[in-house]
Amino acid sequence: MLSLKITTIAAVVAGMSIAAPAALAEDYPSRTIEVIHSYGPGGGTDRFVRAVAVPFEEISGQSMVPISIQGGGGMPAFANFQQRRVDGYTLMAISPDQIIAHALGRISMDAFQPLARVQYDQGMIVVPADSPFQTIEEFIAHARENPGDLTVGITGAAGFDDTVMGLWNIETGAEVTTVPFGSSEMVSNTLGGQVDAMHEEYGPARGLIDSGDMRPLVVFSDERLPVLPDVPTAVELGYDVTLGRWRAFAMPADADPAHVETLYGLISEAVASDAYQEVQEQAALQFRSELLDPEEFQAFIEEEIEVYTRVLDALGLLN
Amino acid sequence: MLEAYGSALAYLFGNPSSFLLIIFSVIWGIAFGSVPGLTGIVGVALLIPFTFVFDPTAGLLLLSGVYVGSTFGGSISAILFNTPGSPEAACTALDGYPMAKKGQAGKALGIALASSAIGGIFGTIVLMLLAPPMAQFALNFGPAEYFALAVLGITAISAIGGGSILKGLVAGLLGLGIATVGLDPITGTERYTFGNLSLLTGISFVPAIIGTFALAEVLQRAGEKTSTAEVITDVSTKLPSMKEFMETRFTLLRSSSIGAVIGALPGVGATTAAFISYSEAVRWSKRPQDFGTGVAEGIAAPESANNSAVGGSMIPLLALGIPGSATTAVMLGGLTIHGIIPGPLLMETNTQLVYTVFIGMFIANILMLIFGIRAARYFALVLKAPYALVGPAIVVLCMTGVYALNSNIVDVGVMLAMGAFGFLLRKLRYPIASFVIGLVLGPIAERSLRQGLVISDYDYWDFVSRPITAVLLIASLLSLIYGFYGQWKRHRQDRGSPAATG
Repeated sequence: MLSLKITTIAAVVAGMSIAAPAALAEDYPSRTIEVIHSYGPGGGTDRFVRAVAVPFEEISGQSMVPISIQGGGGMPAFANFQQRRVDGYTLMAISPDQIIAHALGRISMDAFQPLARVQYDQGMIVVPADSPFQTIEEFIAHARENPGDLTVGITGAAGFDDTVMGLWNIETGAEVTTVPFGSSEMVSNTLGGQVDAMHEEYGPARGLIDSGDMRPLVVFSDERLPVLPDVPTAVELGYDVTLGRWRAFAMPADADPAHVETLYGLISEAVASDAYQEVQEQAALQFRSELLDPEEFQAFIEEEIEVYTRVLDALGLLN
Repeated sequence: MLEAYGSALAYLFGNPSSFLLIIFSVIWGIAFGSVPGLTGIVGVALLIPFTFVFDPTAGLLLLSGVYVGSTFGGSISAILFNTPGSPEAACTALDGYPMAKKGQAGKALGIALASSAIGGIFGTIVLMLLAPPMAQFALNFGPAEYFALAVLGITAISAIGGGSILKGLVAGLLGLGIATVGLDPITGTERYTFGNLSLLTGISFVPAIIGTFALAEVLQRAGEKTSTAEVITDVSTKLPSMKEFMETRFTLLRSSSIGAVIGALPGVGATTAAFISYSEAVRWSKRPQDFGTGVAEGIAAPESANNSAVGGSMIPLLALGIPGSATTAVMLGGLTIHGIIPGPLLMETNTQLVYTVFIGMFIANILMLIFGIRAARYFALVLKAPYALVGPAIVVLCMTGVYALNSNIVDVGVMLAMGAFGFLLRKLRYPIASFVIGLVLGPIAERSLRQGLVISDYDYWDFVSRPITAVLLIASLLSLIYGFYGQWKRHRQDRGSPAATG
């Protein structure tokens, strides 16, 4: 604190107020950066952090490691994140799950200083090969005539998938019933015809789409996927359903702005590297994964909070 | 198919280092499985970055070898310390630990090892010969079938009990009750969390098991007056004889088959397979009342089933691209990084990879047997140490293991609370096995019942009239009646001959 004061005074005296943050940023980061997340080791978020960490280490000379704190609906991970010292060496990997926890009043997004949104996936409604529905129009027509008759497999109850399908029900009026499963059971129950369709991202579903065992009907995005040129987007049908799963980095709310700037610079460089881009493409996440800087990401989070709160409220989950 | 095996063998002999990889992976797996808190999933996840330097085939050989080794490894600490190293070994502790306590640790470990190897090889053969048809068969299992399967396992509570039907039922219901804590699986509503957000995802299974098994055992022994004499002086490291082993052959066959089928079902894996085959072993046994006191079948059933489930859970992964278990889900992530897209086309486009892994898993199971035999003898010696030293060490192991699993301090609290609860159950002579079966199978039964009812639009007839469901539910009902009848009969016999009580 004392040294900071002296530096500030010196800076003011010298009339060069830029010098202080620059001096601070120079030796940052000087040790390992830890990224807390609430998912299992080897899962999508864990792999995301590791994929960024490889080029990050080459660029900054410091390593970045994911810390997995599972269970408790992500609460223990969030609590651990909040208990740590705000020194620029603790990040949290966040996703729509935090927005939902915020909307449900379990955590507050105000605890985060948004750093960088890196990945942005898009979901689809996928039907098994022997489904009677060839196009999304037929699917919608049936759902409108028989509200709630069609079942759609999703992952997890009252979470991200439920919100996306809830928004679909609100926007289209083609009401479907969601059935929550674990992710692999969701796929097997859809393949086996126990449910009529499932909500899944392109990456995990592409094996079954390529083999012809599953057929995507609609993509929740603004633009069609280049790999699925014949599959319409919800937007072009006139329905504003574009919610997608995203993965991002956040710092504690009172993080040093200089650290935010330095770290964002390093992460953006790491994300632009060939090493990271290759991993991203192998996971089929490249289609709309546009990097957002802290300000853009903050605005994005605000929009997300608005949409999620509206949908969760309509689903009767807020009280 | 022969051609495929030819190219796989050509790969293995063309890359002699792959044999070293398999050896390493089995040892690594046994180590991760046996230390509480590490588990096979972590063992696999940690190795994924190292697979980048290998080609995808060598990488998958490494990961599947760890999977094979870790599933056996868990039984070591389950048998010696009543502390299951990984969830799939929890069931092994039910009879493994009592046998070790009788001074037959070597025999218990030997049965676990041999059953693991037989189950593992059985599962691998099913994987080799039947992967595509088994994967298609597994797709017939919807929520209604999962429900019936779980119910069938739960009804075995009626046959366990160790004397009192009522106590068996109460313990089972307590297990089912504790399993309902946390978010509702369909609506996401909080249940019995009392505003404590840390309980949102419920009472975690591993902390609960380690508490009720290991900590409760330490507490109980600390309370025994004869604790100074508790040193097991006669620790036999003798492995089971061929004759003893052959007596479990029907259990092995039945449990391995159950393991392969349940392993192939996505979402349920080795842990469920172990408990359901334990239930079946009790049901088919001529002396069901002896389970829980250290009988060979009680070790052979879960160990052959959970290792067979390893091969089984590779079936949907390789044939459909759907991971059959948590560990295979991590493996799938690893494959994706190598640019391999898992899906139904994998077996056609990556023939060499798939068949090399088949052979690799086969070799891994045999290696497990070779390393395990020597290791078992040494491990068993631990019990020669006085319990005054081993007991506190187990408590430390429980605490660190439970914390290491998820880095979640709440889990340690759950473990301690469940330790006290387990101690109480033992003191009042409630059967732990019934409690744990309720805890493991309850959530599966509840979730699938609710999913199935949403799908059938709450039409119960539509739900139970599905062929597989109907058969399983009728079998459950019959076994329930038979189980109670058997207990009632034994009860009367015991009364008739006072000599048999005790």
